[in-house]
Amino acid sequence: MSPEAIIDGLFAGSVYALVALALAIVFQPTRIMNFAQGEAVILGAAVAYQIVALEKLGWAVTLGVTIVLAALMGLLMERMIMLPVRMSGSRYAWIIATLAAALIFQSLFNLGYFDVDALRPNPVVAGGFQVAGITVEWQEALTIVVALAVMAGYDLFLRRSTYGRAIRATAHSSETSVLMGIPVQRIVVLSFVIGAVITAIAGMLAAPVIFVAPATGLMFTIKGFTAAVIGGVGSPRGALVGGMIVGVLDTVVRSVVGGSIGNFAVFAALAVILVVFPSGLFGKPMEAH
Amino acid sequence: MATVDSSPGGVGSPGSVFDSAAYHRARTVVLAVLSVAVIGVLLAWPAITDYYSYNASYYNGIVASAAISAILTISLNLSMGYGGMLSMLHSGLQLAGGYATGYLVVKLSGSWLLGIAASVAVGTVVAMLVLLVSLRATYLYFGMITLAANLIVIEVGREWESVTGGIVGVSGIAPKLGDEFMSKQAFYYVVLACLAVAYILQRNLVRSGVGRASMAVRESSDTASAMGISPARAKLLLFGVCGGTAGLSGALYALQLGFINPDVGLLDNGIIFFVGLFLGGISTLIGPLIGVGLIAVLVELIKDQARYTTLVLGVLLLVAMMVIPRGVVGTWKASRMGRDRLAEADDETLPDEVPDVVPEVRDVPDGVAALEGSGIVKHFGGVHALDGVDVRIMPGTVHGIIGPNGSGKSTLVSCLTRYHQIDAGQVRIFGEEAPHAAHRVAHAGVTRVFQVPHLFERVSVLDNVLTGMRTRETYSWFGALVRSPSYRRQDRTEREEARELLAFAGLASRADWLASSLSHGQKRLLEVVRAVASRPKVLILDEPATGLTSDELDALGRLCRVLRERGLAVVLIEHNVDFVMGLCDELTVLESGKVIERGTPEKVRNSAAVLEAYLGRPDLVEEAS
Repeated sequence: MSPEAIIDGLFAGSVYALVALALAIVFQPTRIMNFAQGEAVILGAAVAYQIVALEKLGWAVTLGVTIVLAALMGLLMERMIMLPVRMSGSRYAWIIATLAAALIFQSLFNLGYFDVDALRPNPVVAGGFQVAGITVEWQEALTIVVALAVMAGYDLFLRRSTYGRAIRATAHSSETSVLMGIPVQRIVVLSFVIGAVITAIAGMLAAPVIFVAPATGLMFTIKGFTAAVIGGVGSPRGALVGGMIVGVLDTVVRSVVGGSIGNFAVFAALAVILVVFPSGLFGKPMEAH
Repeated sequence: MATVDSSPGGVGSPGSVFDSAAYHRARTVVLAVLSVAVIGVLLAWPAITDYYSYNASYYNGIVASAAISAILTISLNLSMGYGGMLSMLHSGLQLAGGYATGYLVVKLSGSWLLGIAASVAVGTVVAMLVLLVSLRATYLYFGMITLAANLIVIEVGREWESVTGGIVGVSGIAPKLGDEFMSKQAFYYVVLACLAVAYILQRNLVRSGVGRASMAVRESSDTASAMGISPARAKLLLFGVCGGTAGLSGALYALQLGFINPDVGLLDNGIIFFVGLFLGGISTLIGPLIGVGLIAVLVELIKDQARYTTLVLGVLLLVAMMVIPRGVVGTWKASRMGRDRLAEADDETLPDEVPDVVPEVRDVPDGVAALEGSGIVKHFGGVHALDGVDVRIMPGTVHGIIGPNGSGKSTLVSCLTRYHQIDAGQVRIFGEEAPHAAHRVAHAGVTRVFQVPHLFERVSVLDNVLTGMRTRETYSWFGALVRSPSYRRQDRTEREEARELLAFAGLASRADWLASSLSHGQKRLLEVVRAVASRPKVLILDEPATGLTSDELDALGRLCRVLRERGLAVVLIEHNVDFVMGLCDELTVLESGKVIERGTPEKVRNSAAVLEAYLGRPDLVEEAS
């Protein structure tokens, strides 16, 4: 195993951490674990691929387009998921609706990029640098830094701003929050939008390095979920720790044993964690739906 | 069919024709004719296509594939609809089953019948393993674990080339009759027979005690435990059956199409089953078949744009959830045209005679307490909820446990019935150490009724009572599946007894109603009836009188007295002091987790300690005023 594997792991981990954060952002006010979250990763990667690799435009354009499209995707997801959930009243509604949304987006990506194996644009900054004999690609370093910044920023937003407090209140009880005059519906929409934007940025940054195929959205959702479970659903810091654990575990096992054993390791870890700690490693018990 | 203007056929039935007896008779006939017609068309399908089309095998294949999907959807319905277990593993189970058949038929050149048997076994084992891993997981996590398991099955399929053929998969899987290859037409009938078997298994299972136990666990595993049902066992059994059925569909898939590869297990392949289930109607017997049938037609219609299939199905699923959340069958059943006729409620007079089905406890050695707790200590964090409580409940008595709010009454019940682990002390049932799992305590004869109603709301009143009889049922799950003679005998007596019990409680005319449609008082009464149906030796009622009218109180009091005469020990946790004082032989008074008084109602009524606990110190009050 090379020390580069650790860096690769931290890089992949920061992508999973961002997905985990987005899952938590949507989960808190809605109590919905959004299976379609990983599709935003594909959106980010697809936009980067389209604009950087095919249209040969710059990364600034990519960032702008990604944010706009991801926000639209978030709005759309909120309608696609919350409407059926409210109208059906079945206790499976949320999971079926998110799954359906995931498959709808997935089939759209499949239709758009059916002849593309990996959505791989050129990196934002090519090349790498040496630290203590370890080669670190600039793209990896950039992604890790962005992930840390997003985490810290969201943490601050949650704790310091009025809106952040409203979100935290809604997470505790949306009914009481309505009574307190908090616009819960607006917060739900906002959380879908923020979640989609964060995930899409993760996808955009990850695409030059990680393997992102049009149909791999669910895989990102599950790894993000694993990260969220390990770190405890709800806290940005937990998501960060969980994401890093998943990323390093995945990459290290992959480089030592090889092949797709990395996925095994992650799923097996998820199973073991859930068996030993039914409510997650650091998390408060999550109520049964 | 009759129109609204023509006079209703039923005598004195108010409202529309849809409530008349004639309409219901006609509906039964029409539905029966329709089912026979559909079955007839399915049986004659190869002949029909042969006659009308040059491409007969294509159209036969469509129906056979739909039937295979229907088998898997039935399995999904059992696990999600009846068991409340959200499984995303089903396409993976189908894949695993397909591999088993593929490996056996192609690599070992075994017979296809052996392949099917192996697939059923593999499906069952995989499902049971996944369930064992996730027994403690809550609802959401269970879904996630099954999803992870699904991906693991696919990964195994991609990597384990010697058995699964890797990414390419196994091909050339064909059923043989002797040395000849079986014709597609003959295999069509094999598939149809398997679908019939799967449907009948589903029906028999759901209508038996095994199915009722699963539905009880779906509603509330605590309540199920109080009925003596082991939640873990019920889940394991049901999910195992689901796995076996899914494995069967995998075997048929491989044999029908001749190949199996990892893509079969992908979720976008699995979405068709979810759509079928939700479109047809979850938790209904026929829903999966109708849903899958509709989708098969739809997929055939858009086959020229096959690339859009997943997209269309996904949108269809979302729209179906919004427009017909209960599916075609559920919506029909809830509509005026489709709903069942229910008996009118009449407030019948209560029978004076006590039916024999009310349990009796005799031949108890003298001086042995039916239920005894000694030195029970229970802490919640730093709070001493119970601090060394002794309680002895003798058979043939009504024993009241009273005390102010927060004195530890309900905690005591939970400790005695092993819902809480106690920190110190002992619980004995008829002199023997009580078992440590809640459902085993119920088996040992101690049944509890919870403080807030814990009915199984979505099933009928009668089914609620039948669920209470689960511990008495001696037939195996297999007996239930095939409706063995012993199963039929027991089922018949159970239904008679349940109706007698309901009549005794004055609920006979509501036996076929949904439990959720009862009033609060009737619900409480039904809960007691359900508990009595489990033939307990000790019956614990936690605040049964709350919110009852005086008539209902009388009925409850009467029931308690009858049970006492029959030798049962009845434990009443109550706030209603008049009710308790009039009924109980003995009282235990708790305050802050300690027993402050015990004895006859007279003694308790005059106890200074009790007065103080409830009213404060009267002498001090007088001084102050």
